[in-house]
Amino acid sequence: MQVEMLLPQRRMMELEELPVHLRGSAAAEPFHESVVNAAIDLSQRTFRDPEARGYPELLALAYWMRKAEMVRLAAQFRTLQLDNRILAPRGLVFHLPPRNVDTIFVYSWLLAALTGNRSVIRLSPQRSESTNILLRLLRETLAAASEPAGSGTTIVSYGHDVEPTEILSGLCDARVIWGGDQTVNTIRRTPLPPHAKEVTFPDRYSLSAIRADTYADLPEEKRDYLADQFFNDSFWFDQLACSSPRLVVWCGTAVETRAASADFFHRVAGCVERRRYLLPPAASMQKLVYACSAILNSPVEECRRYKGLTVLTLASLSGFKRSHPGGGLFFEAHLEDLLHLPEFLGRRDQTLTWFGFTSEELHALVRKLNGRAVDRIVPIGQALQFHRFWDGYDLLQEFCRCVYIESAFQDARPTGASG
Amino acid sequence: MTLDDLMQLPQYSVAQADKEAVLLAELTRLGKHHRQRSPEYARLARIMFPGSADPHNLADLPYLPVALFKEHLLSSVPESEVFKILQSSGTTGQTPSRVVLNRETAQLQTLALSRIMSSVLGPNRLPMILVETADLIRDRRQFNARAAGLLGMLNFGRDHFYALDSNLELRLPELKDFLRRFGGAPFLMFGFTFLVWSRFYQPLADAGLDFSHGILIHSGGWKKLQEEAVSAADFRAALRQALGLTRVYNFYGMVEQVGSVFLEGDDGYLYPPNFADVIVRDPTTFEELPNGQTGVLEVLSALPRSYPGHCLLTEDLGVVHAVDSPSCGRLGKAFSVLGRIPKAELRGCSDVIAAKVS
Repeated sequence: MQVEMLLPQRRMMELEELPVHLRGSAAAEPFHESVVNAAIDLSQRTFRDPEARGYPELLALAYWMRKAEMVRLAAQFRTLQLDNRILAPRGLVFHLPPRNVDTIFVYSWLLAALTGNRSVIRLSPQRSESTNILLRLLRETLAAASEPAGSGTTIVSYGHDVEPTEILSGLCDARVIWGGDQTVNTIRRTPLPPHAKEVTFPDRYSLSAIRADTYADLPEEKRDYLADQFFNDSFWFDQLACSSPRLVVWCGTAVETRAASADFFHRVAGCVERRRYLLPPAASMQKLVYACSAILNSPVEECRRYKGLTVLTLASLSGFKRSHPGGGLFFEAHLEDLLHLPEFLGRRDQTLTWFGFTSEELHALVRKLNGRAVDRIVPIGQALQFHRFWDGYDLLQEFCRCVYIESAFQDARPTGASG
Repeated sequence: MTLDDLMQLPQYSVAQADKEAVLLAELTRLGKHHRQRSPEYARLARIMFPGSADPHNLADLPYLPVALFKEHLLSSVPESEVFKILQSSGTTGQTPSRVVLNRETAQLQTLALSRIMSSVLGPNRLPMILVETADLIRDRRQFNARAAGLLGMLNFGRDHFYALDSNLELRLPELKDFLRRFGGAPFLMFGFTFLVWSRFYQPLADAGLDFSHGILIHSGGWKKLQEEAVSAADFRAALRQALGLTRVYNFYGMVEQVGSVFLEGDDGYLYPPNFADVIVRDPTTFEELPNGQTGVLEVLSALPRSYPGHCLLTEDLGVVHAVDSPSCGRLGKAFSVLGRIPKAELRGCSDVIAAKVS
């Protein structure tokens, strides 16, 4: 069987060639200058690229890889290095990014590369336009990069074949599976070497919480800005990115929350119209069928339909099902207090985007959740901002081994305990 | 004018404005009927279509997407009145739609079909060729929509002849016998579009038989023929040339809406019968579109009493070409079906997009 190699060169290769190709070059030192420079170079190339300009998610990626951010990340990494604990690269990281969120493979690759790892990435043969643009930019960047950044990254493309996944899994020291529950379950059937570690990104659900009285105090233009931020969080990836909100929880009295919701979604509908967000007909139909089914299956008491936007008001959050059609459909519910939220949340809930709460309120919420749910709490507008902390992992740490070192020699008498 | 008048008057003889007035009153009444009897429908109509209890035109009436009948058995009759449950054939692996009929609705359906068919067949039963195998209805265990469609049509003919054997091969000698006996006067032919093309027309293309007295009624969709690049016009032209068949009528309909049988006119456009109609809606906003614009077809029928299927949003694209233009002697909307809404895949983190409310 053959797979297509996309990077460093584009060519067909026999499966047997893969281990040969991937053997060899050692890992780099974490935050090696050549890797950091390659990231900054990729960022600049993306900003400059006329084709990339049409894709906001590519520009967001480029912004995230800009020099200032790389410097900050390097500084953060240094704080993780302790006297008796050194973070060292794991070796070869095998990435299985999702087919539909084009930029994830670069984020995943970059954090592995910055921490000194070599990477092999599997991409689907069906690739979007923006993925192809990214591939081209990455190829140009790595061809120009100095060593060790220039080598150490391989991208291959194949369908749902098991054999290449088996070979790559057998070679790697860490495997990263994006793409949801079914992909995680499928890939997990392929064993890893005993020492290898796995990082999985299963299906997740995300929500927003807005404090109604604080919202009511906002001047017009700030409400518009908030609606705009909420639009970006939700609609960039057709509301199917795992961190895009699908449920809005309004906190306050019934009267306050009703008024705030009416005002807010009216403005969001305005964004949908202004930005000319257009859903394909089949997806619109799916959304309509989903809304009808939800009305029959859950305690929906109101449905508001705007152009491209549907809002279903729930009488209660108990038993709330987290299925979703994407494409601009929101559930909403009303709670007197943010601290009533935990009883309705579970392991699947990932990002809570918020507006109007104090730091104390948010911290109290996290303490009450006590790890049962929610991995990320960020202001509305930052739902899609990728971060080293994702899905409850610190990816800078996940891609490293912790080496313990005791460097003070003790003139030891045997104490009885031995290992 | 009343619904009864619409049934009794010759089909396609009612001007659109008159028909809409009767249908609006009738469908509003029917909507109330279903709101009272189906709690699910009442809930959907109230929440999804607020303000629709007092509609000003047909487009204001609540419409249900057909896919809902795959997930929910919506009924407006107590279980004791259920006469039968119709099931769509569906492609393998798909959940079929289910539709509840009581006796009244089943009878209305039979009456409606007869009113529609007699408009092209005349009042008498004609000798009939079925482009089908007799096995289809012999084996009641495999009773599907294709068989149900066939059974519905049998009543309009006599001296039934099944032109295909169990391997779907043409029974040529017997077909020749049929033509010798009945070929000199009007006779009826019925079959599914793709079977008529592949199992009847193609083997007979060079046989030189005369079907010029035949009236062919066919249905089942164009998807397979489109794959072979055969258009509706190609189909008609080929049958005319090779078989001498000039009276060829396609029809469009669906299990989910009884009574909605839209039969082709001589101009090749589809026409709603008196007691049904179509509306074209924008495929993303679902607002009604003006004639001439392509959108999603909504079908309306005054017949469904036992389940709330009187206004359904289909998954087909269509366009209304003209209204009350008597180019083929029919009044009402002249429209075409342009096939299914194309599939679309949205982006997202999860490679499998689960959109079912369980």
